[in-house]
Amino acid sequence: MSLASRLASLGKTLFRRRRLEADLDDELRGYLEELARKKRAGGLAPDEARRAAAIAMGGLESVKEETRDARIGADLEAAMRDVRYAWRSLWRSPGFAIATILTLGLGIGANTAIFSLVDAMLLSPLPYRDSTRLVFVWSDMSEAGYPRAPISGPELADLRRRARLFSGFGAIWANSAALTGEGDPEQLRVGLVTTDFFQVLGAEPALGRTFRAGDDAADAPSTIVLSDALWRRRFGADPHAVGRRVSYGGEPATIIGVMPDSFRLLLPPDSAVPDDLQAWATFWPKMTEDPRGQQFLRVVGRMKPGVTLAQGKSEIDGIAARISREFPEYGAAGRRFDAVGLHADGVREIRPVLLALFGGVAILLLITCVNVAGLLAARAASRRHEISLRIALGAGRGRLFRQCLAEGLVLSLLGAAAGVAIARGMLAVLFAARPESLRRIAAARIDLRVLVFAASIAILWGLLMSLAPLAEVLRAAPIANLKRGGNPTASPVRAFLVAVQTALSVVLVVGAGLVARTFSRIHGVDPGFRPDHALSFRLALPPARYGKPEAFNAFSRRFEEGLRGLPGVVAAAAVSHLPFDHIPNWGGPYLAKAAASGAPAPMADYRAVTPGFFAAVGARLVAGREFTEADDEKSRPVVIVDERLARLVWGGESPLGKTLRVDPRSSGQPEVPATVVGVVRHLRHRSLLEDVREQVYFAQRQIRRNPVAYVVRGTGEPGALAAPVRKLVADLDPQLPVSEARPLEDYLTDARGSQRFAMILAAAFAAAAMLLSAIGLYGVVAYSVAQRRREFGVRLALGALPKQVRALVLRQGARVAAAGLVFGIPAAVVTARLLRSQLFGVTPGDPLSYAGAIALLTLTALSASWFAARRAASASALEALKVE
Amino acid sequence: MSRRTELLKGTLDLLILRTLALEPRHGLAIAERIEQITRGTFVVKPGSLFPALHRLEQEGFIAGAWGESADGRRVKTYHLASAGRRQLEREKRQWDRIVFAMGRVLASG
Repeated sequence: MSLASRLASLGKTLFRRRRLEADLDDELRGYLEELARKKRAGGLAPDEARRAAAIAMGGLESVKEETRDARIGADLEAAMRDVRYAWRSLWRSPGFAIATILTLGLGIGANTAIFSLVDAMLLSPLPYRDSTRLVFVWSDMSEAGYPRAPISGPELADLRRRARLFSGFGAIWANSAALTGEGDPEQLRVGLVTTDFFQVLGAEPALGRTFRAGDDAADAPSTIVLSDALWRRRFGADPHAVGRRVSYGGEPATIIGVMPDSFRLLLPPDSAVPDDLQAWATFWPKMTEDPRGQQFLRVVGRMKPGVTLAQGKSEIDGIAARISREFPEYGAAGRRFDAVGLHADGVREIRPVLLALFGGVAILLLITCVNVAGLLAARAASRRHEISLRIALGAGRGRLFRQCLAEGLVLSLLGAAAGVAIARGMLAVLFAARPESLRRIAAARIDLRVLVFAASIAILWGLLMSLAPLAEVLRAAPIANLKRGGNPTASPVRAFLVAVQTALSVVLVVGAGLVARTFSRIHGVDPGFRPDHALSFRLALPPARYGKPEAFNAFSRRFEEGLRGLPGVVAAAAVSHLPFDHIPNWGGPYLAKAAASGAPAPMADYRAVTPGFFAAVGARLVAGREFTEADDEKSRPVVIVDERLARLVWGGESPLGKTLRVDPRSSGQPEVPATVVGVVRHLRHRSLLEDVREQVYFAQRQIRRNPVAYVVRGTGEPGALAAPVRKLVADLDPQLPVSEARPLEDYLTDARGSQRFAMILAAAFAAAAMLLSAIGLYGVVAYSVAQRRREFGVRLALGALPKQVRALVLRQGARVAAAGLVFGIPAAVVTARLLRSQLFGVTPGDPLSYAGAIALLTLTALSASWFAARRAASASALEALKVE
Repeated sequence: MSRRTELLKGTLDLLILRTLALEPRHGLAIAERIEQITRGTFVVKPGSLFPALHRLEQEGFIAGAWGESADGRRVKTYHLASAGRRQLEREKRQWDRIVFAMGRVLASG
């Protein structure tokens, strides 16, 4: 038979189904009547003849079924029929269908959303050419408490010169600079880069070019590359922007290129290089000849093809060992580098969080599916009568199985569709709530891979969910079920499913409890300063006009006086770094006595502050005094240290008046002797969870750092101070942009962001899990109440009190819940151990979290059963008997 | 009745084609004709007959035509198509080979 006629037959089977059905019916009825006629002719009475013919026929429906199956395309047609049947039967019970689809949608949606995050962050390669060859090079200074430190210019030159397995090393350092001329002055987040940085990274510009060798020479004209966002906003996406001259950092510079919209700088989060830099410029000339101790470069290396990470790493280790021997600056400790895969290092911190989230949603999905399986099983049980009837009428069990599968798949695919919509919404919420450390999740998209993922879990769960009703079909014994309206025993399958579900909920609720306790502990941490009622902002003083110490200090004094004079301002002062900001950290060595032999000097975080800073930020001075205007460029250097440093160096002795050798100008050695004039409580300005490192505060009048951040403490709403501050700046110097004017509290909120984010998600999971298991439990108890209604009616009629009947039902619910708790608590103990790294201030075995979870679930179980029990107690014998 | 034989797979097609080679018939007539010719050895039940008829029709070996019976009912009568005639020849030769081969096997003992 030709293909064409096969296709024609297939088409006929699929599209002219109604006609074929009618014909088949006519043909078989004709056969039956003809047979009956013959039997009558053979001498049988008409009734007898019809009966005999029907027996000979052997079931009209099953003959039809077999004939249909013989047709070409019968499999496809049968599948379509099953799907249509499933669709119709869902349509007939919309409540059930909507509940199921939404439940599944929630589970699949949450999974799809989190999967798209995992996909974007962990599975997809970085968006650079051959990105697996990229490594990030840290300087490992673990002895000084700084395992991931940047690298200095000469060290970059060493790497470039000596590495054979690498095709290049590029470096970047984030800074800020003013863009002036053509509109308001604006402070830009810029990346200073080596000329080969973009080539090493493997990123191409959308317009013009990136830097090339020689662009950073002393006599070369200044050039900058713009980000797509800045180009659109500031230059109206002008294609001729390339070649234009602008004023950058107070100097003329030429725009040479624009990066594409898709370009993101995905360096490790703790490299202090934001992913949304607005422009790039080259380093100052001869940066590679800076002192060896001036470590600020974030270095990316590109391995040659075929080189493994282990080989690249060992070559870099070797270079570190050689320069340690060659340069006496490193002392006995020497220098160690740590080369790590760029992608793996970037997701180092977020990876366990994402995997924990993924685990959480997987459990949630399991719960939803168990719930839906329970609903389907209950439905199948209540349709046992119908199913038995159909088996008696000749429907094959295979056919019924197929229908169960079709129903499961139709439900789960509809659920997946709802899930994708829900995932979109969830991603939008996650993007809005994302903390600083999760900025990169913006790269998450619902793309083909994600859709395939959603469809596969839908199909998988569709198949698994169908198992429950299939079990019910198998249990259907036609005769027994037809004789009476159904089997009154509660389904053990369902009770088991609900117990599993309760156990899983215990896991999620305990997890959420631990995460919530962690957050409350973090919220309770005293950071050592008062973030409320304070506005912060940043000014970058162009070196052209403020390069001289006198000019810098004169401006600072006038400006700070002006700030203190503003109405509603209590205190105001300047600092080089705000707590929890994102500009690269500043630190260096300190020594209390003249250089000890060989051992590396311990490291401290450095900050430069103006007089009155500790009062303005709300920190507590423990001993000594704040800086004064007398501590200026003409007087002997002074420092204020934190309690931690004072304790480490001088123990119980008073540090006041003692000399501390420090390195404020990053020469690499603690060479500058300074007098300690004060001791301040440790300010947690980099981590809320621990005191990271000792702190040394310099007098800003002596050690100037640019840009300068200001803290203005007022009496009212801090945001209201922004306008008068801007006016004050414009009055003093109209060319100075005010950037990042925001309440000081914002930085702290951001710092707590990832924990808050985790808490919100965990709480959402737990709430969803609780709700679902409550529904599941109510379903199973209510179903068995409905089945035993007659029994309850009889009990009540025989004198049982409603109270007793209620207790009977409550006991049943309690049993299922107790089974769930018995299995859930050990499971939660195991899971909580996996969460350990994400916890702070609570142990994985935190009794409060467990007690809370047990109480919450018991309460949920009892209230769900209570509603079902009330119905049981209202049963009347008469009514129950009438139903039968 | 005990002498009824299970139809070998594929045999039914041959029986139907052969029956229709003589004259067009409707379903019951085909079944009766087969039963009658084989003296009751083969009883074709509707559950086997109709699937076979529909399959042969779809393959183009036989064709069904709707007509009217004496008492005015719609009746579907099948006749052998030319492709069916060729198929009948093929199946006959095939069957002869099987019978011949089986005969030799059984006689060889």
